[in-house]
Amino acid sequence: MSEPMATMTLHTTVNGRACALEIDPRHTLLDLLRDTLGLTGTKRGCEVGECGACTVLLDGVAVNACLVPAPQVEGRQITTVEGLGAGATLTPLQEAFLDHEAVHCGFCTPGMLMSARDLLDHHPAPVERDIRAAISGNLCRCSGYVQIVEAIAEAAEREARPNGGPSPAKETQ
Amino acid sequence: MKPFSYVACDSVEEACEALEAYPGDARVLAGGTDLLIELRRPGAVWPRALVDVSRVGALWGVEARGGGVRVGPMATHAEVAASPVVRRAAGLLAAAAAAVGSPQIRNRGTVGGNVMNAATCADTVPPLVALGARLTLQSPQGRRTVAIAELFERPYKTRARADEVLTDIEFAALPGGSRSAFVKLGRRNALAIARLSVAAVVRRDAAGVIAEARLVPGAALPVWRRVAEAEAMLVGQRPSPELLAAAGRRVAEAMIGETGRRWSTEYKEPVIAVLVRRALEACCDGPAGEAA
Repeated sequence: MSEPMATMTLHTTVNGRACALEIDPRHTLLDLLRDTLGLTGTKRGCEVGECGACTVLLDGVAVNACLVPAPQVEGRQITTVEGLGAGATLTPLQEAFLDHEAVHCGFCTPGMLMSARDLLDHHPAPVERDIRAAISGNLCRCSGYVQIVEAIAEAAEREARPNGGPSPAKETQ
Repeated sequence: MKPFSYVACDSVEEACEALEAYPGDARVLAGGTDLLIELRRPGAVWPRALVDVSRVGALWGVEARGGGVRVGPMATHAEVAASPVVRRAAGLLAAAAAAVGSPQIRNRGTVGGNVMNAATCADTVPPLVALGARLTLQSPQGRRTVAIAELFERPYKTRARADEVLTDIEFAALPGGSRSAFVKLGRRNALAIARLSVAAVVRRDAAGVIAEARLVPGAALPVWRRVAEAEAMLVGQRPSPELLAAAGRRVAEAMIGETGRRWSTEYKEPVIAVLVRRALEACCDGPAGEAA
């Protein structure tokens, strides 16, 4: 039986980097990412699992970081919005968000991207209904859903092409 | 602030011991989607220990077992909603699991957590009651099995002892020719807390006469139960719009009989009747005896 603890050591992998961290066991994954690791791309919104702004991938699956106790990510893989691209290079998914003006105030964008990443990783050729279902746990307070859905559909098409580039129609513009 | 321990368990036995070590002041942590919200409320008191059962392999999985289904308490709503075993044997449970929260919540929230939290709005409980699910609870004193309908004392309160861990949720597959439905009313499609819900099962014979009916409303009664008085109206009859509507009104009467007339009754009375009718319509749609 463990003694009462002020802090505990946690081993986890964030965006491909293994870390050993001293954490307060009462903290959430969201606290860990933002406050301990300084990864503030993941947003602190409602903190009751309703807005989806804190969505990250836990072992490749979308979860609300605000509802995951930090100790539960021991030994697991976390991907945040910072882990999508390589440095300043954006992924086709992120490019599609920009091209479709799917980023309005931007607060929901990291969570939307992570829900979209989960969708495209598991369903590379989604129909609109699949996309809408995949982002049904993410609120956009600017209500820019149409552009977000279009962007994810476009991203699926781009990712299906070998070079992941923009569509041939766009290249001629 | 009082001392706090996070206890990660590798076995049910370890979890039971941990619960015993902090009598009445430990909480079982599964997916955390209800517990963390509760603990973050203003004025919420943290327990001395969170006993994390999420890594106990014996609590995982969904599988066919002995003509029925065994759902591990740590099975997530996403797993249950997608499980071919559950969809085949008990479509209403898969539908209810798919109606929980959002994709993110369904990826974390567990059926065992839904049952043991005992919120009146719990989506998976009405189907499990309709299925006559049996629950196995383990403590340092041993194991016992109870009918799910016997587990609940009142909203948010089960009869499980403080050192008991839910280890198995089991139910028989619906009989051949049964149709089932789960209907939920929330304020929006995603992330809705059920205002009311209905789990329904109807089996008709080859002539189209209802041979068996099961009706369990959610968020309507203090504790879940099959509304036998409404079920009895259906058995031996052929489905008709009048019959299904009358069964709905009978469930509404049962609700008012148990809860009395309250501020919400004006709304809930007609709405539960309509939801029951819709659930029954979904079960009686199409030719009799067609499995779904």
